[in-house]
Amino acid sequence: MRELLLREQWTKAGAVLVERHGVQVVSHVSGLRAEHVAVRDAVGITDFSFMQKYRVPLEKGDDLLDGALAGNVAKIRFGRMLHTFMPDNSGHVVGDCYVANNDEELILLCEGIATDGDIRERLQPAGASDGILEDLTESHVLLGIDGFKAWAVVKELFGADVLGLAYLSVEVFPFEGESVYLFRAGKTSEFGYLLMAPAGVAAKLSDALTGIAARHGGVLCGVDAHNALRLEGRFFNIHAEGASVRDPLVLGLQWMIDFEKDRFHGAEAIKQRRAAGLKQKIVGVAAAPGQECLGVGAKVFHGQGGIGEVVAAAFSPSLNRQIGLAVLPIGLAFAGLRFTVGAAGGSPVETISMPPIFPKSLQVKLDEM
Amino acid sequence: MDQDTDLQKAIARRSEIIEKLKKELIRRLNLRYSPEDLHEDVSLLGAGLGLDSLDALEIVLCVESCFHVRIPDDNIAVLRSINTLVDFVIKEQDSRNKQP
Repeated sequence: MRELLLREQWTKAGAVLVERHGVQVVSHVSGLRAEHVAVRDAVGITDFSFMQKYRVPLEKGDDLLDGALAGNVAKIRFGRMLHTFMPDNSGHVVGDCYVANNDEELILLCEGIATDGDIRERLQPAGASDGILEDLTESHVLLGIDGFKAWAVVKELFGADVLGLAYLSVEVFPFEGESVYLFRAGKTSEFGYLLMAPAGVAAKLSDALTGIAARHGGVLCGVDAHNALRLEGRFFNIHAEGASVRDPLVLGLQWMIDFEKDRFHGAEAIKQRRAAGLKQKIVGVAAAPGQECLGVGAKVFHGQGGIGEVVAAAFSPSLNRQIGLAVLPIGLAFAGLRFTVGAAGGSPVETISMPPIFPKSLQVKLDEM
Repeated sequence: MDQDTDLQKAIARRSEIIEKLKKELIRRLNLRYSPEDLHEDVSLLGAGLGLDSLDALEIVLCVESCFHVRIPDDNIAVLRSINTLVDFVIKEQDSRNKQP
Protein backbone atom coordinates (compact mmCIF):
# COMPACT_ATOMS: atom_id res chain seq x y z
CA MET A 1 0.00 0.00 0.00
CA ARG A 2 1.24 3.52 -0.80
CA GLU A 3 1.15 5.53 2.39
CA LEU A 4 0.41 9.24 2.59
CA LEU A 5 3.49 11.44 2.97
CA LEU A 6 1.73 13.37 5.73
CA ARG A 7 0.37 10.29 7.54
CA GLU A 8 2.03 11.24 10.85
CA GLN A 9 0.46 14.71 10.87
CA TRP A 10 -2.94 13.27 10.01
CA THR A 11 -2.68 10.57 12.66
CA LYS A 12 -1.71 13.16 15.29
CA ALA A 13 -4.77 15.18 14.28
CA GLY A 14 -6.97 12.16 14.99
CA ALA A 15 -7.63 11.16 11.39
CA VAL A 16 -8.90 7.69 10.52
CA LEU A 17 -6.81 6.30 7.67
CA VAL A 18 -8.05 3.54 5.37
CA GLU A 19 -6.90 1.83 2.19
CA ARG A 20 -8.54 2.43 -1.19
CA HIS A 21 -7.24 0.89 -4.41
CA GLY A 22 -3.85 0.24 -2.84
CA VAL A 23 -3.45 3.79 -1.53
CA GLN A 24 -3.89 5.22 1.95
CA VAL A 25 -6.61 7.87 2.28
CA VAL A 26 -7.98 9.95 5.16
CA SER A 27 -11.49 8.65 5.73
CA HIS A 28 -12.57 11.25 8.29
CA VAL A 29 -11.19 13.40 11.07
CA SER A 30 -13.76 15.18 13.24
CA GLY A 31 -16.88 13.58 11.76
CA LEU A 32 -18.88 13.81 8.56
CA ARG A 33 -21.32 16.48 9.65
CA ALA A 34 -18.68 18.81 11.17
CA GLU A 35 -16.49 18.49 8.09
CA HIS A 36 -19.42 19.07 5.75
CA VAL A 37 -20.59 22.16 7.63
CA ALA A 38 -17.02 23.53 7.66
CA VAL A 39 -16.81 23.36 3.86
CA ARG A 40 -20.23 24.91 3.31
CA ASP A 41 -19.71 27.70 5.88
CA ALA A 42 -15.94 28.10 6.20
CA VAL A 43 -13.18 25.87 4.82
CA GLY A 44 -11.94 22.29 4.89
CA ILE A 45 -8.40 21.02 4.28
CA THR A 46 -8.33 17.58 2.66
CA ASP A 47 -5.38 15.40 1.67
CA PHE A 48 -5.85 14.42 -1.99
CA SER A 49 -2.33 12.97 -2.22
CA PHE A 50 -3.90 9.59 -2.97
CA MET A 51 -4.43 10.87 -6.51
CA GLN A 52 -1.87 9.99 -9.17
CA LYS A 53 0.21 12.99 -10.33
CA TYR A 54 2.30 13.24 -13.48
CA ARG A 55 4.33 15.87 -15.30
CA VAL A 56 4.89 15.66 -19.06
CA PRO A 57 6.75 18.06 -21.40
CA LEU A 58 4.18 20.00 -23.44
CA GLU A 59 5.72 19.18 -26.82
CA LYS A 60 5.38 15.44 -26.28
CA GLY A 61 2.70 15.39 -23.64
CA ASP A 62 -0.38 16.35 -25.57
CA ASP A 63 0.03 13.37 -27.90
CA LEU A 64 0.67 10.96 -25.04
CA LEU A 65 -2.20 12.22 -22.89
CA ASP A 66 -4.60 12.60 -25.81
CA GLY A 67 -4.25 8.86 -26.39
CA ALA A 68 -5.16 8.10 -22.79
CA LEU A 69 -7.89 10.63 -22.05
CA ALA A 70 -11.34 11.32 -23.53
CA GLY A 71 -10.97 15.11 -23.62
CA ASN A 72 -8.82 17.09 -26.01
CA VAL A 73 -5.53 17.88 -24.29
CA ALA A 74 -4.17 19.72 -27.34
CA LYS A 75 -6.88 22.35 -26.95
CA ILE A 76 -6.00 23.36 -23.36
CA ARG A 77 -4.90 26.99 -23.34
CA PHE A 78 -1.85 28.12 -21.41
CA GLY A 79 -2.62 28.48 -17.73
CA ARG A 80 -5.89 26.58 -17.96
CA MET A 81 -7.10 23.10 -17.04
CA LEU A 82 -9.25 20.43 -18.63
CA HIS A 83 -11.58 18.19 -16.63
CA THR A 84 -11.94 14.85 -18.37
CA PHE A 85 -11.68 11.12 -17.68
CA MET A 86 -9.44 8.19 -18.45
CA PRO A 87 -11.30 5.30 -20.10
CA ASP A 88 -10.22 1.70 -20.39
CA ASN A 89 -10.18 -0.11 -23.73
CA SER A 90 -13.89 -0.89 -23.48
CA GLY A 91 -14.67 2.80 -22.99
CA HIS A 92 -15.46 2.60 -19.28
CA VAL A 93 -14.26 5.16 -16.77
CA VAL A 94 -11.07 4.33 -14.86
CA GLY A 95 -9.92 7.76 -13.71
CA ASP A 96 -11.39 11.22 -13.14
CA CYS A 97 -8.69 13.59 -14.41
CA TYR A 98 -7.56 17.18 -14.48
CA VAL A 99 -4.92 18.19 -17.01
CA ALA A 100 -3.23 21.58 -16.53
CA ASN A 101 -1.24 23.42 -19.18
CA ASN A 102 1.54 25.21 -17.32
CA ASP A 103 4.04 26.87 -19.66
CA GLU A 104 6.19 24.09 -21.18
CA GLU A 105 4.60 21.26 -19.26
CA LEU A 106 1.35 19.43 -18.70
CA ILE A 107 0.34 18.26 -15.24
CA LEU A 108 -2.04 15.33 -14.94
CA LEU A 109 -3.95 14.75 -11.70
CA CYS A 110 -5.87 11.48 -11.71
CA GLU A 111 -8.37 10.19 -9.18
CA GLY A 112 -8.67 6.57 -10.18
CA ILE A 113 -10.52 3.41 -9.30
CA ALA A 114 -7.37 1.46 -10.05
CA THR A 115 -3.95 1.08 -8.47
CA ASP A 116 -1.02 3.43 -9.15
CA GLY A 117 0.49 0.70 -11.34
CA ASP A 118 -2.67 0.28 -13.43
CA ILE A 119 -2.93 4.02 -14.09
CA ARG A 120 0.78 4.27 -14.97
CA GLU A 121 0.41 1.36 -17.39
CA ARG A 122 -2.45 3.10 -19.20
CA LEU A 123 -0.33 6.23 -19.58
CA GLN A 124 2.75 4.37 -20.70
CA PRO A 125 1.55 1.81 -23.21
CA ALA A 126 4.00 -0.69 -24.64
CA GLY A 127 6.28 0.98 -27.16
CA ALA A 128 5.92 4.49 -25.75
CA SER A 129 9.21 6.29 -25.18
CA ASP A 130 10.57 6.16 -21.66
CA GLY A 131 11.40 9.25 -19.72
CA ILE A 132 8.58 11.46 -21.04
CA LEU A 133 6.30 10.84 -18.12
CA GLU A 134 7.57 12.10 -14.75
CA ASP A 135 5.69 10.39 -11.93
CA LEU A 136 5.13 12.84 -9.08
CA THR A 137 2.73 10.57 -7.24
CA GLU A 138 5.07 9.64 -4.40
CA SER A 139 7.28 12.74 -4.43
CA HIS A 140 4.53 15.37 -4.08
CA VAL A 141 1.53 15.99 -1.87
CA LEU A 142 -1.80 17.30 -3.12
CA LEU A 143 -3.81 19.26 -0.58
CA GLY A 144 -7.37 20.44 -1.16
CA ILE A 145 -8.69 23.73 0.22
CA ASP A 146 -12.46 23.75 -0.24
CA GLY A 147 -15.14 25.98 1.13
CA PHE A 148 -16.88 29.30 1.21
CA LYS A 149 -13.74 30.82 2.79
CA ALA A 150 -11.18 28.81 0.77
CA TRP A 151 -10.20 31.95 -1.16
CA ALA A 152 -9.29 33.71 2.11
CA VAL A 153 -6.90 30.91 3.11
CA VAL A 154 -5.16 30.85 -0.26
CA LYS A 155 -5.05 34.66 -0.41
CA GLU A 156 -3.32 34.78 2.98
CA LEU A 157 -0.77 32.27 1.76
CA PHE A 158 0.02 33.63 -1.71
CA GLY A 159 -1.43 37.14 -1.92
CA ALA A 160 -4.45 38.79 -3.51
CA ASP A 161 -3.50 37.69 -7.06
CA VAL A 162 -5.16 34.34 -6.39
CA LEU A 163 -8.57 36.01 -6.39
CA GLY A 164 -8.24 36.62 -10.14
CA LEU A 165 -7.77 32.93 -10.93
CA ALA A 166 -10.62 31.58 -13.01
CA TYR A 167 -12.13 28.17 -12.30
CA LEU A 168 -9.93 25.49 -13.89
CA SER A 169 -6.71 27.46 -14.09
CA VAL A 170 -3.20 26.91 -12.74
CA GLU A 171 -0.46 29.13 -11.32
CA VAL A 172 2.88 28.37 -9.68
CA PHE A 173 3.81 30.16 -6.43
CA PRO A 174 7.02 30.06 -4.40
CA PHE A 175 6.86 28.52 -0.93
CA GLU A 176 9.95 28.00 1.26
CA GLY A 177 12.17 28.07 -1.83
CA GLU A 178 10.14 25.48 -3.73
CA SER A 179 7.57 25.77 -6.51
CA VAL A 180 4.03 25.00 -5.44
CA TYR A 181 1.32 24.47 -8.03
CA LEU A 182 -2.01 26.10 -7.27
CA PHE A 183 -4.92 24.59 -9.19
CA ARG A 184 -8.23 26.44 -9.06
CA ALA A 185 -10.48 23.40 -9.04
CA GLY A 186 -12.61 21.49 -6.57
CA LYS A 187 -15.76 19.38 -6.60
CA THR A 188 -17.85 20.73 -3.76
CA SER A 189 -19.46 23.69 -5.60
CA GLU A 190 -17.85 26.03 -3.05
CA PHE A 191 -14.54 27.78 -3.78
CA GLY A 192 -11.89 25.15 -4.29
CA TYR A 193 -8.14 24.90 -4.76
CA LEU A 194 -5.62 22.08 -4.99
CA LEU A 195 -2.03 22.68 -3.92
CA MET A 196 0.70 20.37 -5.20
CA ALA A 197 4.00 20.62 -3.36
CA PRO A 198 7.20 18.56 -3.19
CA ALA A 199 7.67 16.32 -0.15
CA GLY A 200 10.39 18.57 1.30
CA VAL A 201 7.96 21.39 2.07
CA ALA A 202 4.80 19.32 2.48
CA ALA A 203 4.68 19.38 6.27
CA LYS A 204 5.35 23.14 6.45
CA LEU A 205 2.71 23.82 3.81
CA SER A 206 0.20 21.61 5.59
CA ASP A 207 0.91 23.36 8.91
CA ALA A 208 0.57 26.79 7.29
CA LEU A 209 -2.74 25.85 5.63
CA THR A 210 -4.12 24.27 8.78
CA GLY A 211 -3.21 27.33 10.86
CA ILE A 212 -4.74 29.82 8.46
CA ALA A 213 -7.82 27.67 7.93
CA ALA A 214 -8.38 27.39 11.69
CA ARG A 215 -8.48 31.21 11.95
CA HIS A 216 -11.26 31.17 9.34
CA GLY A 217 -13.26 28.50 11.18
CA GLY A 218 -11.88 25.68 9.06
CA VAL A 219 -11.22 22.05 9.94
CA LEU A 220 -9.34 19.06 8.58
CA CYS A 221 -11.47 16.83 6.36
CA GLY A 222 -11.46 13.28 5.13
CA VAL A 223 -12.63 12.01 1.79
CA ASP A 224 -15.90 10.63 3.18
CA ALA A 225 -17.31 14.12 3.68
CA HIS A 226 -16.68 14.78 -0.01
CA ASN A 227 -19.23 12.11 -1.00
CA ALA A 228 -22.13 14.28 0.18
CA LEU A 229 -20.42 17.51 -0.91
CA ARG A 230 -19.96 16.21 -4.46
CA LEU A 231 -23.47 14.82 -4.62
CA GLU A 232 -25.02 18.10 -3.44
CA GLY A 233 -23.02 19.96 -6.10
CA ARG A 234 -23.67 17.21 -8.68
CA PHE A 235 -20.00 16.74 -9.32
CA PHE A 236 -19.00 13.41 -10.79
CA ASN A 237 -17.74 11.06 -8.06
CA ILE A 238 -15.68 8.23 -9.47
CA HIS A 239 -15.71 6.44 -6.11
CA ALA A 240 -19.52 6.43 -5.97
CA GLU A 241 -21.62 6.40 -9.17
CA GLY A 242 -18.45 6.19 -11.27
CA ALA A 243 -17.40 2.90 -9.70
CA SER A 244 -20.84 1.30 -9.94
CA VAL A 245 -21.90 2.48 -13.42
CA ARG A 246 -18.62 3.13 -15.28
CA ASP A 247 -20.26 3.84 -18.65
CA PRO A 248 -19.54 7.56 -19.29
CA LEU A 249 -22.65 7.95 -21.47
CA VAL A 250 -25.02 6.57 -18.83
CA LEU A 251 -23.19 8.74 -16.29
CA GLY A 252 -23.85 11.86 -18.38
CA LEU A 253 -20.15 12.60 -18.91
CA GLN A 254 -20.45 13.40 -22.61
CA TRP A 255 -19.26 16.94 -21.83
CA MET A 256 -15.87 15.47 -20.86
CA ILE A 257 -15.46 13.77 -24.27
CA ASP A 258 -14.20 15.26 -27.52
CA PHE A 259 -16.12 13.09 -30.00
CA GLU A 260 -14.19 14.67 -32.89
CA LYS A 261 -10.83 13.52 -31.58
CA ASP A 262 -9.16 10.90 -33.77
CA ARG A 263 -8.28 8.34 -31.17
CA PHE A 264 -8.11 7.54 -27.48
CA HIS A 265 -8.37 4.32 -25.52
CA GLY A 266 -11.94 3.07 -25.66
CA ALA A 267 -13.05 5.66 -28.24
CA GLU A 268 -14.53 3.09 -30.62
CA ALA A 269 -16.55 1.40 -27.89
CA ILE A 270 -17.90 4.74 -26.66
CA LYS A 271 -18.79 5.88 -30.17
CA GLN A 272 -20.57 2.58 -30.90
CA ARG A 273 -22.66 2.83 -27.74
CA ARG A 274 -23.44 6.46 -28.56
CA ALA A 275 -24.54 5.53 -32.09
CA ALA A 276 -26.77 2.74 -30.74
CA GLY A 277 -28.54 5.23 -28.49
CA LEU A 278 -28.79 5.42 -24.73
CA LYS A 279 -31.14 2.97 -23.02
CA GLN A 280 -30.50 4.18 -19.46
CA LYS A 281 -29.61 7.43 -17.81
CA ILE A 282 -28.53 8.69 -14.42
CA VAL A 283 -30.91 10.95 -12.52
CA GLY A 284 -30.99 12.63 -9.11
CA VAL A 285 -33.25 11.14 -6.43
CA ALA A 286 -34.29 12.23 -2.96
CA ALA A 287 -35.92 10.37 -0.10
CA ALA A 288 -38.67 11.93 1.93
CA PRO A 289 -37.32 13.82 4.97
CA GLY A 290 -36.72 11.41 7.83
CA GLN A 291 -36.63 8.36 5.54
CA GLU A 292 -33.39 6.42 5.22
CA CYS A 293 -34.27 4.29 2.22
CA LEU A 294 -31.57 5.21 -0.28
CA GLY A 295 -28.63 2.84 -0.41
CA VAL A 296 -26.35 1.82 -3.25
CA GLY A 297 -27.90 -1.17 -5.01
CA ALA A 298 -31.45 -0.48 -3.79
CA LYS A 299 -34.00 -1.17 -6.55
CA VAL A 300 -36.32 1.56 -7.79
CA PHE A 301 -39.93 0.56 -8.59
CA HIS A 302 -42.68 2.05 -10.70
CA GLY A 303 -45.88 0.37 -9.57
CA GLN A 304 -45.11 -3.33 -9.29
CA GLY A 305 -42.19 -3.29 -11.70
CA GLY A 306 -38.52 -2.75 -10.98
CA ILE A 307 -37.18 -0.02 -13.23
CA GLY A 308 -33.71 0.84 -11.97
CA GLU A 309 -31.20 1.02 -9.21
CA VAL A 310 -29.66 3.54 -6.82
CA VAL A 311 -25.97 3.97 -7.69
CA ALA A 312 -24.94 6.68 -5.20
CA ALA A 313 -26.46 7.89 -1.97
CA ALA A 314 -25.57 10.14 0.94
CA PHE A 315 -27.26 12.08 3.67
CA SER A 316 -27.30 15.74 2.68
CA PRO A 317 -26.79 17.94 5.74
CA SER A 318 -27.71 20.96 3.59
CA LEU A 319 -31.11 19.52 2.66
CA ASN A 320 -31.55 17.42 5.82
CA ARG A 321 -32.59 14.41 3.79
CA GLN A 322 -31.05 11.58 1.85
CA ILE A 323 -30.20 12.26 -1.78
CA GLY A 324 -28.69 10.04 -4.42
CA LEU A 325 -28.39 9.09 -8.03
CA ALA A 326 -30.28 6.29 -9.75
CA VAL A 327 -29.96 4.73 -13.18
CA LEU A 328 -33.39 4.57 -14.84
CA PRO A 329 -34.71 3.71 -18.32
CA ILE A 330 -34.30 6.71 -20.61
CA GLY A 331 -38.07 7.19 -20.87
CA LEU A 332 -38.43 7.57 -17.11
CA ALA A 333 -35.22 9.47 -16.33
CA PHE A 334 -36.84 12.85 -15.73
CA ALA A 335 -36.88 15.08 -12.66
CA GLY A 336 -40.15 15.59 -10.82
CA LEU A 337 -41.45 12.00 -10.83
CA ARG A 338 -42.44 9.77 -7.90
CA PHE A 339 -41.44 6.14 -7.54
CA THR A 340 -40.75 3.76 -4.67
CA VAL A 341 -37.49 2.23 -3.54
CA GLY A 342 -36.56 -1.09 -1.95
CA ALA A 343 -39.76 -2.89 -2.97
CA ALA A 344 -42.97 -2.36 -4.92
CA GLY A 345 -44.98 -0.09 -2.67
CA GLY A 346 -41.85 0.63 -0.60
CA SER A 347 -40.58 3.99 0.62
CA PRO A 348 -41.39 6.90 -1.68
CA VAL A 349 -38.58 8.47 -3.66
CA GLU A 350 -38.74 11.42 -6.03
CA THR A 351 -36.50 12.23 -8.96
CA ILE A 352 -35.00 15.69 -8.59
CA SER A 353 -33.16 18.34 -10.58
CA MET A 354 -29.50 18.54 -9.82
CA PRO A 355 -27.71 20.27 -8.27
CA PRO A 356 -30.27 20.55 -5.47
CA ILE A 357 -28.42 23.25 -3.50
CA PHE A 358 -27.33 26.80 -4.28
CA PRO A 359 -23.92 27.16 -2.60
CA LYS A 360 -22.83 30.26 -0.69
CA SER A 361 -19.80 30.65 -2.97
CA LEU A 362 -22.04 31.40 -5.94
CA GLN A 363 -23.77 34.15 -4.00
CA VAL A 364 -20.67 36.14 -3.00
CA LYS A 365 -19.43 38.99 -5.19
CA LEU A 366 -15.74 39.66 -5.86
CA ASP A 367 -15.86 43.08 -4.15
CA GLU A 368 -17.17 41.36 -1.01
CA MET A 369 -14.10 39.13 -0.78
CA MET B 1 -57.11 10.20 -14.00
CA ASP B 2 -54.82 7.36 -12.82
CA GLN B 3 -51.26 7.71 -11.59
CA ASP B 4 -49.75 6.36 -14.77
CA THR B 5 -51.54 8.93 -16.92
CA ASP B 6 -50.32 11.71 -14.60
CA LEU B 7 -46.79 10.38 -14.89
CA GLN B 8 -46.96 10.24 -18.68
CA LYS B 9 -48.36 13.77 -18.84
CA ALA B 10 -45.59 15.07 -16.58
CA ILE B 11 -42.95 13.32 -18.69
CA ALA B 12 -44.41 14.62 -21.95
CA ARG B 13 -44.54 18.19 -20.68
CA ARG B 14 -41.01 18.15 -19.26
CA SER B 15 -39.64 16.34 -22.30
CA GLU B 16 -41.08 18.96 -24.66
CA ILE B 17 -39.52 21.83 -22.71
CA ILE B 18 -36.15 20.06 -22.47
CA GLU B 19 -36.06 19.31 -26.19
CA LYS B 20 -36.86 22.87 -27.17
CA LEU B 21 -34.40 24.33 -24.67
CA LYS B 22 -31.53 22.05 -25.66
CA LYS B 23 -31.95 22.78 -29.37
CA GLU B 24 -31.99 26.52 -28.76
CA LEU B 25 -29.01 26.45 -26.36
CA ILE B 26 -26.95 24.42 -28.83
CA ARG B 27 -27.80 26.86 -31.64
CA ARG B 28 -27.32 30.09 -29.68
CA LEU B 29 -24.18 29.03 -27.78
CA ASN B 30 -22.70 27.13 -30.70
CA LEU B 31 -22.21 24.04 -28.55
CA ARG B 32 -20.46 21.06 -30.16
CA TYR B 33 -22.92 18.53 -28.76
CA SER B 34 -26.09 16.86 -30.00
CA PRO B 35 -29.16 17.20 -27.73
CA GLU B 36 -28.72 13.58 -26.60
CA ASP B 37 -25.18 14.40 -25.40
CA LEU B 38 -26.37 17.14 -23.07
CA HIS B 39 -27.37 15.62 -19.75
CA GLU B 40 -30.02 17.78 -18.10
CA ASP B 41 -28.05 17.97 -14.85
CA VAL B 42 -24.72 19.02 -16.33
CA SER B 43 -23.49 22.28 -14.84
CA LEU B 44 -23.86 25.10 -17.35
CA LEU B 45 -21.54 27.72 -15.85
CA GLY B 46 -17.99 27.15 -14.58
CA ALA B 47 -17.69 23.39 -14.11
CA GLY B 48 -19.32 21.11 -16.69
CA LEU B 49 -19.94 22.97 -19.92
CA GLY B 50 -17.74 25.81 -18.66
CA LEU B 51 -19.87 28.64 -20.04
CA ASP B 52 -19.04 32.23 -19.04
CA SER B 53 -21.03 35.31 -18.00
CA LEU B 54 -21.76 36.32 -21.61
CA ASP B 55 -23.14 32.85 -22.23
CA ALA B 56 -25.24 33.24 -19.07
CA LEU B 57 -26.87 36.31 -20.60
CA GLU B 58 -27.56 34.34 -23.79
CA ILE B 59 -29.14 31.55 -21.72
CA VAL B 60 -31.44 34.07 -20.02
CA LEU B 61 -32.47 35.54 -23.39
CA CYS B 62 -32.98 32.04 -24.80
CA VAL B 63 -35.33 31.01 -21.97
CA GLU B 64 -37.23 34.29 -22.11
CA SER B 65 -37.79 34.19 -25.87
CA CYS B 66 -38.60 30.48 -26.08
CA PHE B 67 -40.98 30.27 -23.15
CA HIS B 68 -42.14 33.87 -22.60
CA VAL B 69 -41.09 33.89 -18.96
CA ARG B 70 -38.77 36.40 -17.34
CA ILE B 71 -35.77 35.35 -15.23
CA PRO B 72 -35.16 38.05 -12.57
CA ASP B 73 -31.64 39.56 -12.68
CA ASP B 74 -30.76 38.28 -9.21
CA ASN B 75 -31.96 34.72 -9.80
CA ILE B 76 -28.74 33.10 -11.00
CA ALA B 77 -29.68 29.92 -9.12
CA VAL B 78 -31.90 28.84 -12.02
CA LEU B 79 -28.94 28.93 -14.41
CA ARG B 80 -27.15 26.01 -12.75
CA SER B 81 -28.34 23.30 -15.14
CA ILE B 82 -30.88 22.56 -17.86
CA ASN B 83 -33.04 20.86 -15.25
CA THR B 84 -33.07 23.92 -12.97
CA LEU B 85 -34.04 26.06 -15.97
CA VAL B 86 -36.84 23.64 -16.83
CA ASP B 87 -38.08 23.72 -13.22
CA PHE B 88 -38.23 27.51 -13.44
CA VAL B 89 -40.15 27.45 -16.72
CA ILE B 90 -42.68 24.94 -15.38
CA LYS B 91 -43.15 26.93 -12.16
CA GLU B 92 -43.66 30.17 -14.08
CA GLN B 93 -46.11 28.57 -16.53
CA ASP B 94 -48.08 27.01 -13.66
CA SER B 95 -48.24 30.26 -11.78
CA ARG B 96 -49.41 32.12 -14.91
CA ASN B 97 -52.09 29.50 -15.56
CA LYS B 98 -53.40 29.93 -12.01
CA GLN B 99 -53.92 33.66 -12.45
CA PRO B 100 -57.57 34.63 -13.00
